Amino acid sequence: MVESGGWCESRLVDAGTVKIVFCGLGVEQRIDKCVLPNGLVVLGEPMPGVESVAFEFLLPGGAAWMPPGYGGAANVISEWVFRGAGKWNSRQLGDALDGLGVQRSSSIGSAHIYLGGALESSNLAPALALYADVILEPHLTDEQFEPARQLIVEELQSMDDEPRQKVMIELRKRFYPDPLGRSNMGELDELQSLTAPKVRELVGAYRDVQQTILAIAGKYDFEAVCRQIESVFGPHQPQPLSAIGLGAKGPAYTHIPNEGAQVHIGLMTPTARFAEEAYYNARTAVSVLSGGMSARLFTEVREKRGLCYAIGARYHSLREAAGIACYAGTSPDKAQETYDVILAEFHRLAEGISAEEMVRAQIGLKSSVILQSESSSSRASAIGSDHYMLGRVRALDEIKRKIEATSVESVLGFLRRNPFREFTVVTVGPREIRT
Amino acid sequence: MEFKHKTLANGLVLIGEVNPPAKSAAVGYFVRTGARDETLDVNGVSHFLEHMLFKGTDRLQASQVNEAFDSRGAQFNAFTSEEQTVYYASVLPEYLQDITALWGELMRPALREDDFTVEKNVIKEEIAMYQDTPTFDVIDRCRSLHFGTHPCGHSVLGTVESIDGLTAAQMRAYFARRYAPNNLVVACAGSFDWDRFCGVVEAAAGAWPRQEVGRSLSDFQGTMQKARADKANLKREHICLMHTGVSAQDPRRYAAALLGMIVGDDYGSRFYWDLVDKALAEEASMHFGPMDGTGLFYCYLRCATRNAPRVLSIVDGILRDLVRAGIAEDELVKAKNKVLSALVLKNELPMGRLGDLGSNWMYLGEYRSIEQEVDAVKAVTTDEVNRLIHEIHLDRYTQYTLGPAVSA
Repeated sequence: MVESGGWCESRLVDAGTVKIVFCGLGVEQRIDKCVLPNGLVVLGEPMPGVESVAFEFLLPGGAAWMPPGYGGAANVISEWVFRGAGKWNSRQLGDALDGLGVQRSSSIGSAHIYLGGALESSNLAPALALYADVILEPHLTDEQFEPARQLIVEELQSMDDEPRQKVMIELRKRFYPDPLGRSNMGELDELQSLTAPKVRELVGAYRDVQQTILAIAGKYDFEAVCRQIESVFGPHQPQPLSAIGLGAKGPAYTHIPNEGAQVHIGLMTPTARFAEEAYYNARTAVSVLSGGMSARLFTEVREKRGLCYAIGARYHSLREAAGIACYAGTSPDKAQETYDVILAEFHRLAEGISAEEMVRAQIGLKSSVILQSESSSSRASAIGSDHYMLGRVRALDEIKRKIEATSVESVLGFLRRNPFREFTVVTVGPREIRT
Repeated sequence: MEFKHKTLANGLVLIGEVNPPAKSAAVGYFVRTGARDETLDVNGVSHFLEHMLFKGTDRLQASQVNEAFDSRGAQFNAFTSEEQTVYYASVLPEYLQDITALWGELMRPALREDDFTVEKNVIKEEIAMYQDTPTFDVIDRCRSLHFGTHPCGHSVLGTVESIDGLTAAQMRAYFARRYAPNNLVVACAGSFDWDRFCGVVEAAAGAWPRQEVGRSLSDFQGTMQKARADKANLKREHICLMHTGVSAQDPRRYAAALLGMIVGDDYGSRFYWDLVDKALAEEASMHFGPMDGTGLFYCYLRCATRNAPRVLSIVDGILRDLVRAGIAEDELVKAKNKVLSALVLKNELPMGRLGDLGSNWMYLGEYRSIEQEVDAVKAVTTDEVNRLIHEIHLDRYTQYTLGPAVSA
């Protein structure tokens, strides 16, 4: 037991696994961690009272790691590997996953291909076995390549009809130094030039067990998971990836014409990275700006002026760089005013923050950390991401304490040392704006 | 989990499912009103009114309302559908009483003229935003086509014209007709104290007068018409099909949900293997939409214009084949596993549980435990699904397409 408000961290080493028990404020949280002899990291967080389990494999080879000319290849791979693996053809594999009731999720990040699932916990072992087949023994047949590639082409082309999503994809592409912000859907010409042999070669090159992370949350037997993963993932064959070289950022302003009903405005400005000491000050600043309906952007843009329905800013971080990304959608005749008001709010932030705003920002952040911790899928993603970004998993209590440690002075100090100078702006719609 | 229930003298119903180990609680005020309860001259008023509730009361300004929610770290919002307006929040247990009281207070809004004028612009921006979201737009248009003059065809958002023409006085009259305590259910799920929760709601709402309130309930089989509209900025074909379904009260609703999954789940469905797997359509889904006294199925298809005729022909073939030969036993087993898995995952979160809790009471006037729902899904037979396919005429549907201008 620890005293109320106290803090402890204990490590129990058992058969090669480490159980890290965090306890503070009367809440105990356990993180299981095991580095298999082949280097694969397995992380787990047991959640008492749930019958489900969620898991996520973080595989090296995200959008930023694709070689030049291979934009969209990671997405094609994530589609292609499910089209037959191990002893299963495409149909049998789909049927087997459905038979286990797996809620599938695949996505492509800057650094990783994420393959995940959520299901009732008693089916975890057979589900992991199917995912191991997908990762280690995909058939990658010529016959299945074309529909896999074509589906990603279709997905990319559909973005032209979704300006709200398109503006943020184009924004991220220009904000981060190339290749960090590359779109997971790639570029049409590059997608069209991909061939089965070229992409097959990539799959081999990026299959690096040592850089693979498996994160699990919910109801599971950690020893059994580690044994199973070790038996199927086998010995390590290093496939060292060369470091990515960072290129230039995109232009400060880009307008993409679209004869739609609104101008969709995206803007992004640099801030502290996830791994930096100043991270919590950056998060709190974003919360003051856009943490809730009483926050500044919603109040000034929507409540007082009625300029927008959708308006908000979010913190976004990669390991290498981070930014505050803001979106607003508004009618063409209000687009300039909307942009001007948003920009003024960014600049006004460093001028002062009231004690009440600070309290609301902190409570909002702490509350969302706890509310998200009830979902097994959120926790699996969070522990995998923490490990990749920081090399360790943060306890919920640590996050709470660090949010509480921020103050008006610390946030203003951070903002004054790091003023918002540089904005990347993209608009999609019938009218340009002046930036 | 323990179910609790209480009805106040004025007809307001309180329900709760107490789950002490949960880390949070979710509270919702479910009002039995939506676009189908509007007349066309005030179309969009239910949704606009939902926005106006956040503008405060005689005691609270809008900024104070927002600050009150945010200072308690509440994750809160509201939505309006054809037949419900729901206000909800997810909070840490220590703030539940405050947030429940706040929602209760907001249920008697000031509806100030100046707030109404500013918010009108926000509503029109929301309409514009959805015009730029063809996935939403095509389903909305298809619903209007499918229901014809039936009130379930009313648009939730209304039109720029109906919103422009709406007055605050009309909104006040609509509010007075629909937000009666006997037309409301207040639900709570997660970690909370039932008696304290009841005390808070009673203090807020106990004095509201009961009044006559109703809804015209009539089933509707759909117009089965076909239409297409062009939009200059679109690059893809967005197609919505609507079928007659069964109502939220109908015992066949479990078979209907499973049928939707067999035909059009994201993975592993008939649509998936014949359309998405072959990259003919990027998305092809079918969902069951149970409603009050009626119901529908809707399919959404997105593809290149050049593929649209083939996609539609394949869809038609799949539906006709189901009418002719029915589903296979193993399809039902897989669909059940997926439905049950989704049910377990959703109900682990108080916020997920709240939706089912409130909806079951709104539609059925009864509590359904997760175990009852699981058993009802497990009990569905192949014969029941096959009978349903015939009863709803799966090969007959309304069709709306939104796409780029096509040269003749």
